[in-house]
Amino acid sequence: MRGLTASLTIIIIGILWAIPLYVLIIGSFKNISEVLTTPIFLPSERPDFYTLLKTGSSMTDPLINTIIEVIPAAFISTILGSLSAYAFHRFTSKIKDIILIIIAIATYIPYQSIMVPLAIFIRSLGLYDTVWGVLIAFIILYIPIASLLMTIFMSSVPRDLIHAAEVDGASEFTIFRRVVLPILGPGFTSTVVFLVIQAWNNFFVPLILVRGYEKHVTLKVFSYIGQSGNLYNEMFSAALIASLPPLIIFISMGRYFIRGLLTLGMGGR
Amino acid sequence: MRKGAFLRLKEFFLFISPALVTGIVLLYFIYWNMYLSLTDYSPLNPSLSIVGFSTYEKVFKDPDFISSLIRTIIWAGLLVFSGNILGILIASAIFNLGGQRLRNILTAYFIYPLSLSLVTSGIIWRWLFDNDRGINVIFRRIGLPGILWLDGSNAFWSIALVSIWVYSGLGALFYLAMFYNINKEIIESAQVDGAGALRIMMQIVIPNSKQAFIISTIFYTLFTIQMFDLPYSILFINPFTSTMVMYTYIKFAATYFAVAAASAMSIVFISALIVIPYAMYGLKKWIVRA
Repeated sequence: MRGLTASLTIIIIGILWAIPLYVLIIGSFKNISEVLTTPIFLPSERPDFYTLLKTGSSMTDPLINTIIEVIPAAFISTILGSLSAYAFHRFTSKIKDIILIIIAIATYIPYQSIMVPLAIFIRSLGLYDTVWGVLIAFIILYIPIASLLMTIFMSSVPRDLIHAAEVDGASEFTIFRRVVLPILGPGFTSTVVFLVIQAWNNFFVPLILVRGYEKHVTLKVFSYIGQSGNLYNEMFSAALIASLPPLIIFISMGRYFIRGLLTLGMGGR
Repeated sequence: MRKGAFLRLKEFFLFISPALVTGIVLLYFIYWNMYLSLTDYSPLNPSLSIVGFSTYEKVFKDPDFISSLIRTIIWAGLLVFSGNILGILIASAIFNLGGQRLRNILTAYFIYPLSLSLVTSGIIWRWLFDNDRGINVIFRRIGLPGILWLDGSNAFWSIALVSIWVYSGLGALFYLAMFYNINKEIIESAQVDGAGALRIMMQIVIPNSKQAFIISTIFYTLFTIQMFDLPYSILFINPFTSTMVMYTYIKFAATYFAVAAASAMSIVFISALIVIPYAMYGLKKWIVRA
């Protein structure tokens, strides 16, 4: 009985949850005549790859640009964030609490509220409308998040190990690289995965820092809303292609992403 | 102690500098925002002299701003209410199913909307709300009247529904994490006493998960304050679904920078009311003292 109610709840809500993804996938395989006549729930009778290939080929540049922005931003932020987390772990003082509060505020205050200064700043660097401007903006926004996440993950590293390395005469950087980083592996992966998905799906930062639609996939996907009008197969193809990288990461490394979410909310415990 | 205190402090600041610098840059941006909001700056009027609160006065007298502020508050209420209820429902159902592996897969399943970009979700739902090819087709087939999902003021409720679909899984995750923390012996002894699953959930498990309620509420509110991508990709700029970030963006795109900054400062102010207490509270949990 107890399992039955639970299963029914899961199945009913689960179906509601599946509809958007189902619609996205089948819509991408429809041909023009079906798009104009069939409802979006009905799978295609003659699935065709033409639309996917056509949108895919126009999305190569945005995809490459997004990779250039997202991968370095996630790794640089996580590496620098781990360094600060290590310093927090080693150092006990009141300053630490103040810095952590600054970092927490920088993490949680909606970044959309700094659009004016951010855009003026990136312009003044001469990086408006470049992938580098978006990359720098991501790094500025993500280092505080990465530091906070890694600080929480770091709190589970046993201090005895660090003390043992210290007694052996290892420098701080050696301790960090040889002792702490290997233990932090899963936390490090969680932070990188979390930031890759966040940056890949970000729409607002490229929207204010870039002209046109070629320098981030979400912008490119957005551009199809205006130009495809009634042809949802094009919009869905573009959206599916843009969603595949984060979806694949989510399916294969979901537990790392979830640990990132859980840690940001519950603080690791 | 192997090293002098000074050296340790120097190393500490070296390691910490990236986080400290970006943290300060972001706070400086907020300060800059505040400064701009006290001027009348725009490319047409490139003067950075302080005009006091007159820009704020302008913003708070603008009916578009007021309606976007009220809409954001109602939206937050809707998401907090429905997101918590759905979160509890999903989490309770998963909690009552056997097998940790199945539970983990189901948890991930309900979170998948968070791995899609909001623009993608927006495009999908734009079509689900379509009158000729969307949900209405199913509604009409089973004899229900179609709903004009995106017409006029209906659009706000429809897009709020989409946001509930996107974010409820996160609440479920927070509740589940708390459910797993509850002492199993208490649950088992209640089972021995003959309490049913529903009673155990209502009287033991859910009341012991207040922390998940607080955190879900904080996150739902912050997500609502940031709302932009979803309404923008479903209906672009629309008087019925404009949010505070959208209002700010319109003023920014029209290069009314001082007005945009003043509007942005109200976003900062409202979120600070939530973020600062949360950060103080989190500080105790985030780091383990030696």
